Amino acid sequence: MSSVGIKGYAYCLNHAPELGLHYGSTPFTEREAKGDSDFLKALPKYIQTYEKAMQYAPNQAYIGGISYEEFEAAQTPWIKNYLSDANRYGRYGEIMPEDEFLGLLAICDVFDLIWLEKDFAGNVKARLLKDPVMTESIVARLKGAHDLPEIEAEIRDKKGRALYSDGKVVGCVRNGHEIDDCLFAYVLLENLACKAGGVLALLHLMKNSNVKPEEIDFVIECSEEGAGDMNQRAGGNFAKAVAEIAGCVNASGCDVRGFCAGPVNAIIAGASQVAAGARKNCVILAGGAVPKLFMNSRDHVKKELPALEDCLGNFALLLVPDDGTEKNPVIRLDALGKHSVGAGSAPQAITSALIHDPLSAQGLTFSDVDKFAAELQIPEITLPAGAGDVPHANIKMTAALAVMKKAIEKSGMDDFIKKHGVIGFAHTQGHIPSGVPFIGIACDHIRAGTMKRVMIIGKGSLFLARLTNLADGGSFLIEPSKGGASTGAVSKEDVKSLILEALSEIAGRLN
Amino acid sequence: MGKLAGKKLLLLGERDGVPGPAMEACLKDSGAEVLFSVTECFV
Repeated sequence: MSSVGIKGYAYCLNHAPELGLHYGSTPFTEREAKGDSDFLKALPKYIQTYEKAMQYAPNQAYIGGISYEEFEAAQTPWIKNYLSDANRYGRYGEIMPEDEFLGLLAICDVFDLIWLEKDFAGNVKARLLKDPVMTESIVARLKGAHDLPEIEAEIRDKKGRALYSDGKVVGCVRNGHEIDDCLFAYVLLENLACKAGGVLALLHLMKNSNVKPEEIDFVIECSEEGAGDMNQRAGGNFAKAVAEIAGCVNASGCDVRGFCAGPVNAIIAGASQVAAGARKNCVILAGGAVPKLFMNSRDHVKKELPALEDCLGNFALLLVPDDGTEKNPVIRLDALGKHSVGAGSAPQAITSALIHDPLSAQGLTFSDVDKFAAELQIPEITLPAGAGDVPHANIKMTAALAVMKKAIEKSGMDDFIKKHGVIGFAHTQGHIPSGVPFIGIACDHIRAGTMKRVMIIGKGSLFLARLTNLADGGSFLIEPSKGGASTGAVSKEDVKSLILEALSEIAGRLN
Repeated sequence: MGKLAGKKLLLLGERDGVPGPAMEACLKDSGAEVLFSVTECFV
């Protein structure tokens, strides 16, 4: 089988400005290096409220609160044209407020690491029960509420990290080890937040796909965090930890890493296992990255713009065998793009490897693809920081390559960019904006017959780890199911029929 | 040899723009000396 069905998808955001203010890597390192600097004093003035984050058009596009077409038509700049009728819940997921997210952190903690203040814990517990994806058994995991003085002592005397709500300390992350920096409170917070985001996305995925937790067979997690200890810094495994909280008792799992190319590689790995019949189904998911909150806020503050990097992003997909019906659009495993070691680092070489080569191998050309979804960062975040409009830069490079390969005329570049490009609507969470936010939209359109082929492209900055100067990338196509690909094995009857067909062809030639 | 001959270069590349190694390849025959080349990612 060379195609695998996409049964469901979920996209959620966790509004987390106070985590960002204290533990986003930009504010955190500034505080460590310079104390209470002018930038740190100014940053809180540029933070959006939950209501504003909910009304921000790209955020609504991410959770499916508005369609992609509504997003395209939304008045820009989005920071001056907030949506008036936005809701917490969209058809793909939700934007969870920060206090509830702290409650979810405590739910996901199985090592007594998250302490919440008693009244705060009681309040968020009651609110979490109103979330349609939260069950009583999941919320019942929120235990271990403490008195504030006890929490303050843990922060003051035992290297715990404070958790804030409305500017007040409402809890802490306890330090996990005296000397092992993999288990310091900051790292544990980062990992637990990633786990909690993954849990939220998985719960929405199961609701959206109408599957029960016990039906999930395997989970692959593909964030950019590293969970381990000093002897195995990124030993893992987020996937199984997420599955445990979500009640997926029959699932196992593993993690796949590759910076922002992690999700595309994880999807290809999961799809291959389903295609081979090794797994009945496979969930691919990732939670968000606390360090990336307010990553570019120095420039936003300097330019007196809202500090928009206030949300953790997460997603989950459910891959199943291709049943040959129109119900589930499919990922094609016979048309994968790969940025090989020898491909080189020139933008043209990368674009060729990821886009032109897999299309050309299947006898397809650029205009056969309705949309190319590569990096999908919100341009209102990246433009003020000098990083440009990344989705636009990527589709421009694709259009330029299409001209070079004589697939389109140079005069047709602008039309190509408009027709085949995607406007960025994902937070700068690294792995999250790398192609995957468009999968849900693509599947909806393919089911509706308004798109016939979409390419998802992921790119990863491997060089950041100082192991290699190389970057990485991968791509795959999503199409309607062609039908008849429901089993991985070839039956005896199939073999008989193929032999008969071949023999009759030979007999025909002899005549 | 062009106008960069004998110059010393610091190359700051970007993943979604022009990466450092790509600039190095373009400047290989320029007669300039690449002292430092790096690719960064700002997203």
